[in-house]
Amino acid sequence: MTLTSPPILLSLIVFLPALGALLVGLSPKARDELAKQIALAFTVLVLALTVYVAIPAPADPGAIAPSGPETSSRFVVGAGQMQRAFSIPWIESFDIYYALGIDGISLPLVLLTSFLSVLAMAASWSISRHVKAYCVLFLLLETGMLGVFLALDFFLFYVFWEVMLLPMYFLIGVWGGPRREYAAIKFFLFTMFGSVLMLVAILALYFSSDLNRLDKSQLAAAKVHTSVLKEHDPGGPPLHTFNLLALAEQGQAKDSPFSAELVWGKSIQWWVFLLLLVGFLVKAPSFPLHTWLPDAHVEAPTPISMILAGVLLKMGGYGIIRICYPICPAAAYELAWLVCTLGVVSMVYGALAAMAQKDFKRLVAYSSVSHMGYVVLGLGVWTITAQTGMSGDYWKMGMNGAMFQMIAHGISSAGMFFLVGVVYDRVHHRDLDRFGGLFGKMPVYTGVSMVIFFAALGLPGLCGFIGEVLVVLSVWNYSQALAVIAAFVMILTAGYILWTIQRVYLGPEYKGPHGDALRPMTRRELAIAAPLLAFAILLGVYPKAVFNYMAPSVDRTVDALAAWAAESQDPITGAIGSGASAPPGSAGLASLRPDGPWKEVEQP
Amino acid sequence: MPLLNQPVSLSHYLLVGAILFACGIVCMATKRNAIGVLMGVELVLNGAAVNFVAFSAPFLRGDAELALGLDGHLMTLFVIVLAAAEAAVALAIALCYYNTHATIDVDQGDELRG
Amino acid sequence: MELARLLPLLLLSAWLLPLGSFAAIVFAGPRMGRGGRKAAYLATGAIGAALVLSLAALGAWLWHHPLAADSQAVAPLSGDWYTLAEFGKLRLAIGYYIDALTLGMFVMVTLISTCIHVYSIGYMREELGEVTDPLVRGSDGGPLVRPGRFPRFFQYLSLFCFSMLGLVVAGNIAMVFVFWELVGICSYLLIGFYIERRSASTAANKAFLVNRVGDFGMIVGIMILLGGLGTFAFGDHLGAEGKVEPGIFSQVRPASAEHGLVVPDGLVRMAAADRLAAVYASMPSADAAEEEIARQIPQLRRAGYGYGLLILAGLGIFCGCVGKSAQFPLHVWLPDAMEGPTPVSALIHAATMVAAGVYLVGRFYPVFAPEVLLVIAVTGCITLFLAATIAIAATDIKRVLAYSTVSQLGYMMFSLGLGGWAAGLFHLFTHACFKALLFLCSGSVIHACHTNEMTEMGGLRKKMPWTAGTMLVGCLAISGAGIPLLIGLSGYHSKDAILAQAFSFARHAPAHAWLFYVAAAGAALTAFYMFRLWFMTFSGKPRVEQVYDHAHESPAVMIVPLVILAVLAISAGWTLPGVDWGLPELLEQARPLGTAEGFPEARTIAGLVVPAEHHSHAPAVHKIVSLAAFAAALAGFLIAAAFYGLRLLSAAAARRWFAPVHWLLVHKWFFDELYDALFVKPALFLARQAAEIDRGVIDWAADGSARLCLRIARIDDWIDRWIVDRFINGLGRWTWRLGLALRPLQSGQLRQYVVMIAVSTVTIFVLISIYRNYAFLP
Repeated sequence: MTLTSPPILLSLIVFLPALGALLVGLSPKARDELAKQIALAFTVLVLALTVYVAIPAPADPGAIAPSGPETSSRFVVGAGQMQRAFSIPWIESFDIYYALGIDGISLPLVLLTSFLSVLAMAASWSISRHVKAYCVLFLLLETGMLGVFLALDFFLFYVFWEVMLLPMYFLIGVWGGPRREYAAIKFFLFTMFGSVLMLVAILALYFSSDLNRLDKSQLAAAKVHTSVLKEHDPGGPPLHTFNLLALAEQGQAKDSPFSAELVWGKSIQWWVFLLLLVGFLVKAPSFPLHTWLPDAHVEAPTPISMILAGVLLKMGGYGIIRICYPICPAAAYELAWLVCTLGVVSMVYGALAAMAQKDFKRLVAYSSVSHMGYVVLGLGVWTITAQTGMSGDYWKMGMNGAMFQMIAHGISSAGMFFLVGVVYDRVHHRDLDRFGGLFGKMPVYTGVSMVIFFAALGLPGLCGFIGEVLVVLSVWNYSQALAVIAAFVMILTAGYILWTIQRVYLGPEYKGPHGDALRPMTRRELAIAAPLLAFAILLGVYPKAVFNYMAPSVDRTVDALAAWAAESQDPITGAIGSGASAPPGSAGLASLRPDGPWKEVEQP
Repeated sequence: MPLLNQPVSLSHYLLVGAILFACGIVCMATKRNAIGVLMGVELVLNGAAVNFVAFSAPFLRGDAELALGLDGHLMTLFVIVLAAAEAAVALAIALCYYNTHATIDVDQGDELRG
Repeated sequence: MELARLLPLLLLSAWLLPLGSFAAIVFAGPRMGRGGRKAAYLATGAIGAALVLSLAALGAWLWHHPLAADSQAVAPLSGDWYTLAEFGKLRLAIGYYIDALTLGMFVMVTLISTCIHVYSIGYMREELGEVTDPLVRGSDGGPLVRPGRFPRFFQYLSLFCFSMLGLVVAGNIAMVFVFWELVGICSYLLIGFYIERRSASTAANKAFLVNRVGDFGMIVGIMILLGGLGTFAFGDHLGAEGKVEPGIFSQVRPASAEHGLVVPDGLVRMAAADRLAAVYASMPSADAAEEEIARQIPQLRRAGYGYGLLILAGLGIFCGCVGKSAQFPLHVWLPDAMEGPTPVSALIHAATMVAAGVYLVGRFYPVFAPEVLLVIAVTGCITLFLAATIAIAATDIKRVLAYSTVSQLGYMMFSLGLGGWAAGLFHLFTHACFKALLFLCSGSVIHACHTNEMTEMGGLRKKMPWTAGTMLVGCLAISGAGIPLLIGLSGYHSKDAILAQAFSFARHAPAHAWLFYVAAAGAALTAFYMFRLWFMTFSGKPRVEQVYDHAHESPAVMIVPLVILAVLAISAGWTLPGVDWGLPELLEQARPLGTAEGFPEARTIAGLVVPAEHHSHAPAVHKIVSLAAFAAALAGFLIAAAFYGLRLLSAAAARRWFAPVHWLLVHKWFFDELYDALFVKPALFLARQAAEIDRGVIDWAADGSARLCLRIARIDDWIDRWIVDRFINGLGRWTWRLGLALRPLQSGQLRQYVVMIAVSTVTIFVLISIYRNYAFLP
């Protein structure tokens, strides 16, 4: 047990911020500056630790053997499976374990979280009320966020999910703008609504799961605790579990315990998928569960907006890819149309709503709705069909694109909110119609803003492009109509972003209130904007920086689902194979499908 | 009086115990003087003690050859010690009570205040 | 070094040089000399070096593949430089596809860019110091004074050159899209260079948005191709296992079918998805199903599956080209784009970027089905005529040139659509030379007069002899002046080739003969509006004395590029006798495989035959067309001379006679108003509705459910207070009362207690005895 052994290292990453919160709490009264410095130091420390984890280890297959000691504390790039996973008994009587692990899907998000936390904390210097409490809550929030991305136990995941909720509520409700109470409660209730559904789904999965159906090697691959291995008895009574990997193994098994019928002719996994999906889509946020977002963003202080848009929204997408799809493949296949349609509707709707906004921050918030629509769409494009010869390549492209879009949106939206905050600090309003001509007073700021906004617009060479284009291009083989609509959103996005740039930055002179306060960016503001700018460009020209880590894990997820689809080929492929494109006169062919338990499965 | 015609048996002892007990109860119920009440208590205790002794006398028991038969004596000794302790404590209470109320009439002591 | 390694290296360096210059100016621009003066030298040096490298590349190419009168197609070089992302067999990469067309474009772009960079050093000089912008009011009511932005201009120019060269060298359609967008954003930045002017930023937005509309179509086309073919790449290249993976071109025109147009398997599968699903459902395993599908695909292809998708893909790609090349109906952005500085108009909006659409159509030629080609031809034809008519009525010198550009681009599209592949691209090259020249001349005039309005000019010939002379060359070139059947300026050769192809097409497909007549009429209109422009500007008497007095010839740094371009405008169309060196021969080397012999009759449109281009070289065709074109141009020139040069006829009177027509033309056929009403307003309306739905429906529902919860909570509260609480309180009260009732028993009388104990003990004893029937009871 050295400092770099998995349980210690990952736990340090998760709980260092909480430790920092404790330290801030113990710091002397009326020393606001000190509290901020401690908080910043801890976020930096966490960033350093996550970066340490991310430094690639030499690709030594022994280092990531499914079981046995893991010699390397670094991340093995190119390996898709869960790495440095461990499991420690927590509440054994309910089979709850303290299980953490990291793979290519979570690592980029963990890095994004720790990175944005540093920037957001640095952007918190303008907070002047109840500074100590602010820092404590901020650090607790970071613990919650990191925990969600690292948890491998569904119950633990849920705990972290809730841990993150409360600090956010207070951070919006205490340090927010004039309507902060309304926004905070709205945020809290929406998210709570989602997490309650999630809890129901968690319990449904728990009570229908049975580890005895898996063999020893699957259990070892799922990193279950050794005590469970002892209890394992293929003929014995059901052995329930919260282990996400083990649940996924069962969900993808040929005779999955989750395929049993629950109510109204739908299987357990159908209901579970739906419940989880709603829970995650609230967070994503997707139409029609998105209205908490604009209010929360408008009221939240700048650094909290950065975290909210940069990290919290990503948990929705992360939950879908980590939990919904692997555990409920049959339901995912059946409901792919719902996921994709919601994604596309969010894209269109968010873009349109953004176009009509008068408040700068609201506009950026709606742009987040639109951009997260790409994520939801990319995750859902089930292209393992007869049309593509059962190839998962297009889905890999879509899912990788969606994951990349999450990272890219984390950078660009955090940047946009920060930049809005910079100008708000000066002129104390966000009315788009009273801006204009900022270029003359703040040329560097305008330059930075244009790059970040262009990144959001999806300009090639900047981070937004890669994700958007991969997602949009992957959709055609799933549904042609959705693909065309998704492509159409490009126009709307360009419309609202260019119009915003014109209204805010271009034009002869700033004529709104507090014109004298428009000073160029300070050095501290530049130091926050510069890394965002650098990453916006770096990820745009070298997307492999992310894909190298991410793609193996995402591809593995898709391959597993493709293998599942091939295995269930008998009843399913007939339905799976029917692409959305039906040439005229071929409708009668649908009747050729064999009748079976899957006959109700229809493509959108 | 058939009892008087018979040889001394357990019933006679029990009768004595019962009379002692009844006298004690009557004494406790009728005496207003705390000392009198105490004496009633002693009578009740002694009535019980007589019973214990009677029950444990070897020649009165049917199972004498089986048991050692000391349990009743032990209880009696215990009762006597208890009675002594009780009397000491009760007299102390009475003394205290007299100090505050200048009487030891128990009918006066119907309130739970010192 | 062998050609396959040398050429990519040379072009890569030529391509990346401007990027380096861009990066350097971003970081160090304002510190480069006074006002950033040296940034211009850096940018010009970079593009000049790129020109040298491009010329070297072209030289190396010609060394290996010398030109001849009967040049044959040469296999292109293709490969990847850098992979952005990879998913299974799908790959997003930065690659190259080099053939004679690529090299020609490289030389053309770098050459014209170099000229324009040099010209801009003079033209943008006032940006070195503080600039007074008379078109913008400052807060004090006077004209706005702002710091100059000299380095920024060259920074954008460098970025543009990089993007444009990337677009030309692109080896796959995704990379084309990447640089397509990048040139778009450069165009946006440069149109909006005068950011203080609202008209400029609006025009920039319009340009980008209209282009995005085109890109929307393009991305749909890319989606179909990627979805069906599984690759972005144009040419074949080596896959991961050393296996050759066919590119788009060889999948659509496989060598096995002698490069004839074949609907690729992927598109057939896409169209017949339901049938395939049925196959999968009926087969025991995936492999067996795939075997069966492979057997069925030829039948399905014959039945027409996938052909529609191929057409759709072609139309999608063309849609992107419509946007970029400002074709009808997306031509509206280009005239507004004239808000940018004039060198920008010359470089981006005349010579290079707007020609990218034509270039892409030329590049994608093998993929287009005959139906798509007809759409291209008709679009080009409508555009060339529409734009020419608007140019007649315009009075802003740059707008006349802008519409002229639209019209000429229409000619190119027209030609490509009719099967005149080489003719259309030939016109692209010659047009780049003379249109850049014309724009730079107009820039020189504007620089001197500080106005764009031709109605304020006149008689400038005497003050600006060089400008007038070079512009005359440009006008002659664009009108197609020459000695029929012998030799002429560059425009003469290329326009003749286009009209000859149109004539040949009309003979092969008589139903579409009207295309030829419209194009010939367009030639007359071209000559008319160009000479109208020249006469109004340079001849006659000055219209506004003040403007005339201020006018002066431009400095040498601006005149030298004009002269170079004038020489090119004269000679670019020539084929050197003896060695047969000329642009048409170069282009023949790049002709896509399988298109030399024309296209077979279209599947869906009867009688549509796209003829091979060599038919138009037949003397019978050539002679008629040459004379007809000359006559048309001459007619246009004579009318212009009659109205504006010699003033035999009154333009004002003509305007009165044709008042309704003039009204229509001055308002540019009302396209802006139409689009505003059809698209912009509804989009904004929808946007407001979406925001309203958020407020009015979703939030209403969310808040409503919250309020409902509150109401339920209140009812719950009432139940709590009036039912649950009362029950509990009642219980408590009764217990209290019971306690009170029992209180007298607790008298504190010790003796009483003793009696009670005794009595109750006895009572209990007796009761139990009765209950258990003890024997001692009677």
